[in-house]
Amino acid sequence: MINILHLRAVSHELPGFVKSLHARGIRSESVRDISSKELAQCEILLIEAHVDQKALLGMKDGLTACLDAGGTIVFNGQLVYPLFDSVGLFQVASGRGRDDLIIERVNEHPVFDGVDCYDMSLRRGVAGFYARGANPPPPEAEILHRLVKDGSPIDWIWQRRQGGQLLMHSGNTMWMYLDDKTSAARIAPQLLDWVCAGAPVTDLENC
Amino acid sequence: MRIAFVDGGTYYHHATYNDPELKVFFDRNIYVLDLPEADLSDVDCLYIASRQNPADLVVARDVIDAFLASGKMVVALGESHCEQWLSNVDWMPGVTNFWWWLTPGEDSGLRLNEPDHGLFSYITLDDATWHRHGTLSVPPGAKSLINAIEGGSVLYDDSSSSGRRIVSTLDPCYHHGSYFMPATTGFLKGFLPWLKQGAPASM
Repeated sequence: MINILHLRAVSHELPGFVKSLHARGIRSESVRDISSKELAQCEILLIEAHVDQKALLGMKDGLTACLDAGGTIVFNGQLVYPLFDSVGLFQVASGRGRDDLIIERVNEHPVFDGVDCYDMSLRRGVAGFYARGANPPPPEAEILHRLVKDGSPIDWIWQRRQGGQLLMHSGNTMWMYLDDKTSAARIAPQLLDWVCAGAPVTDLENC
Repeated sequence: MRIAFVDGGTYYHHATYNDPELKVFFDRNIYVLDLPEADLSDVDCLYIASRQNPADLVVARDVIDAFLASGKMVVALGESHCEQWLSNVDWMPGVTNFWWWLTPGEDSGLRLNEPDHGLFSYITLDDATWHRHGTLSVPPGAKSLINAIEGGSVLYDDSSSSGRRIVSTLDPCYHHGSYFMPATTGFLKGFLPWLKQGAPASM
């Protein structure tokens, strides 16, 4: 059994996603009820966008140890505290209009298989739900999605030389589209399929 | 008014507090987990930013009560379930319509109730108009500044008991800190200067 932990935030968790976690036997804990040591022991960590990052900064050793041991961290949200060495802090996109926030795919990844970038970019014609800027990646990271207009790398995956991988998404939780009636609803179940399979490293296919 | 920003450690609290245009209005930042032990003698107003973990504030309830009992002010913004940690608050959940503005001519459902209140020298109803997360019963003696057409208040000013409370179901810090919904930025750019000026009740 893979040790997967969903790290709950303080608000706005999607009930459907929590139900999906329970159905797969994935543990879900509040950031208030977890220790750095427990983070270190996780093989896979799913972190909500609304999490108390200041609390996580106090447990940075645990996050780093999780990765160093070969673990996977899926981080959602605008990174405003230096939780991960070599990763920059959030930079808002250069524009905030509809056309500034359209998304394009750079590399295919199983989590986003069959997901149309149009459905990620727009909900009822409104842009910006998915991401409005980037957490700057290290040079070795591979970009999965970026904003067409200014190239902000909004989703990327980084195989660390020290071990472990970080799947970064710089917007609202990538599973927030779970209940949408579009292809974007595929993200959440495909993410859970991927982590339950041990988050295998895949050869990315450039688009 | 010396204002302390109560910070839940989230990205949107960080972005709001550190916005150069807004930071000038805050005298201190208090991490929410430090609030139960905080010395608040140099603070006149606790600004409890939107979308906090209510459990963190329940732990700080004695400090908040004592702060109010000393005649000071608490601002409790939306989505932090302040009915759990602020006495005499009655919050009613409602269905949030995030999309009303996409329909031409659609009504936001918000109404100014006290147009001569001092806050409205600083903001307009449009600045407070995005969506609401439920409504509040107005305590006897308090003044609802903005009403919802379905009944109840989305922002009231309450000096009816010890201290003064501004309570709202609006969540400006979350949206401003997410760079989403420009009205929320307009709200903060008016609301915070008003607060800093002592939150005058009259124009």
